Amino acid sequence: MKRPYIVEVKTTEMSQLGRLFVGANSRHGLWTVPLLVALACSLALAFSTNEFVSSQNILNLVAQAAPLILVSIGQMIVILVRGLDLSVGSVVSLTTGILSLNAPVYVAVPGVMLAAVVIGLLNGITVTTFRVHPIIATLSMMGIVQGITMFVRPSAGGSVPSEILFLVSGKLFGIYMPVIWVIAAILVAWKVVHGSRFGLHLFAIGGGETAATFGIAERRNVLAAYVLSSCFAAAAGIFLAGRIVSGDPNIGTQYAVDSITAVALGGTQLAGGVGSLHGTVIGCALLAVIANGMNLLNVSAFIQTIVKGLILLAVISLQPRKTIGL
Amino acid sequence: MKRLDDLSRAALRIPPSYIVLLVLLVTLWMMRPNLMNVAILGTFARQVVPLGIVVLGQLLVISSRSIDLSAGGVILFVNYLISSGLLYEWPILFVVLLCLSVGLSVGLLNGLLVGKRRASAVIVTLAVNIILIGLVEYLANGKPPGDVPDQFRQLYNLRFGTLPAPVIFWFVLAGVMSGFLGRTVFGRFVWSIGSNPISAHFSGVPVERTVVLAHTISGLMSAVAALVQTSSIAVGSVRFGPELVMNSIAATILGGVVFGRPAQVWGPFVGVLCFALLFVVMTTMGVQEPGKLIAQGLIILLAAIFYGVRSKSNS
Repeated sequence: MKRPYIVEVKTTEMSQLGRLFVGANSRHGLWTVPLLVALACSLALAFSTNEFVSSQNILNLVAQAAPLILVSIGQMIVILVRGLDLSVGSVVSLTTGILSLNAPVYVAVPGVMLAAVVIGLLNGITVTTFRVHPIIATLSMMGIVQGITMFVRPSAGGSVPSEILFLVSGKLFGIYMPVIWVIAAILVAWKVVHGSRFGLHLFAIGGGETAATFGIAERRNVLAAYVLSSCFAAAAGIFLAGRIVSGDPNIGTQYAVDSITAVALGGTQLAGGVGSLHGTVIGCALLAVIANGMNLLNVSAFIQTIVKGLILLAVISLQPRKTIGL
Repeated sequence: MKRLDDLSRAALRIPPSYIVLLVLLVTLWMMRPNLMNVAILGTFARQVVPLGIVVLGQLLVISSRSIDLSAGGVILFVNYLISSGLLYEWPILFVVLLCLSVGLSVGLLNGLLVGKRRASAVIVTLAVNIILIGLVEYLANGKPPGDVPDQFRQLYNLRFGTLPAPVIFWFVLAGVMSGFLGRTVFGRFVWSIGSNPISAHFSGVPVERTVVLAHTISGLMSAVAALVQTSSIAVGSVRFGPELVMNSIAATILGGVVFGRPAQVWGPFVGVLCFALLFVVMTTMGVQEPGKLIAQGLIILLAAIFYGVRSKSNS
């Protein structure tokens, strides 16, 4: 059977299995499958280990997943408008680097956010005004930001203001801070992505229908998406700086790939226009549960990498598209 | 006005890498005139031969609007196969063939998933890369890998006249690829998908099959690069690859091959030479690692902006 080669992707072209779980035209993508997988993994772990359901382990799980959730939300916003942000990892590293310079917190945090906004704007301008492919634009930005990070903090060290330490490991109203971070991030992102005109425009631009984007300032919205992505990465950097209480130029390296993995796991399509916040959070949760579970079961770290890759391959081939390529 | 337009259009057709190489050569000549002889430049070039061979595959894939991020994993895996000692008893030709077939099959897997299954190339090749790296680390299990058979080292150090053998090999391979692109039907197919995939499809170009083949060749090139890389360091290694893949994309773009631009071999070829010289120039100027990263990023960015080309339909 020969399928026509069509470049535009409007909705998920789903397998029969996929149709069982979602309506054929879901704009939110295939997020029920990762949810079921995550639940199944959690159940299996709860029965096979004693530690998994302990409150300490669940707190660990949330704290491990929090930075990934933050970065992935930003990544998803950019992917929705057919972009990709490979520079998030180095923004995370840069943030921890700046925070560890011993500046007072009311200088350091605005400074970090300003840096993130500038990086996001540069990414967005390169992609929109100069029409450079997002992979190329953010790849080169990744190199530049990583270079700056290594100027700021050549090797891991330094110390972070104590306020940030409290923000990450303290308690507020008896709730642990990591939990508050995750809930706050989800609420903010829900408002932005699924509860605002801006969010709707993101889907319209990603969908790529000429008719839908008439009357939408595409350039401005794409710029805003890249700025948001950098800012979420910076927030993840602040969280991580509080966790490790120092700066580390390499701490963010994994987040570019991991965030793309989580977003793709959650059913968001890299061709843009199809995706959801809950899917992304589920993707992050699935990755965190798998990593946590394999740690509890004493699986070698190398096997964990292989399993992560295999899951990614399986999920991505479950949702074929019409486009060939990127 | 029209003439000016033609002129600027002609200027756009020159890959940025030619200009960058010229600038770098002049800089080097002014700063260190004694470095400007064939033997020394040849040695610089020899260091980037693995990168150059990866680029030969990458440019095929990129110009058919896909991307291959799995080269690092393939190189690591081949390096492990050669240096782990598992295959010391086997004849060397068999080892080489085995390594090449590993590259071919990884490339074919990428190609089938991207072309037939239509999964995102970024994700597929990233995942394959992760799996290969994990596999090598699991097999090696923290043990330092062993030595590489001597024959590899001898081949690597061979020189014809003043030029090192790997450089000549790279040059010949690039020539073959250039002929392959320019003179075969497959080359025409890649060319047409590069300029417009939709019209290519409606003109009867088998887009799927071409993408699969491009990925397969790219996998093969990664394996060849791995052989050269392995003989250059002479021992096994458990850690390299990410910069190589990023640099291969950078050199391809510097050479004027962007997503949705017809493939050509010599632009990226010169792009790789630029990277060889860039590191030499920056080292002589006393630029440290962070500065190198920044300069490299800026060069890619400027090269990409110089083109300012992004297809409207497939971003």
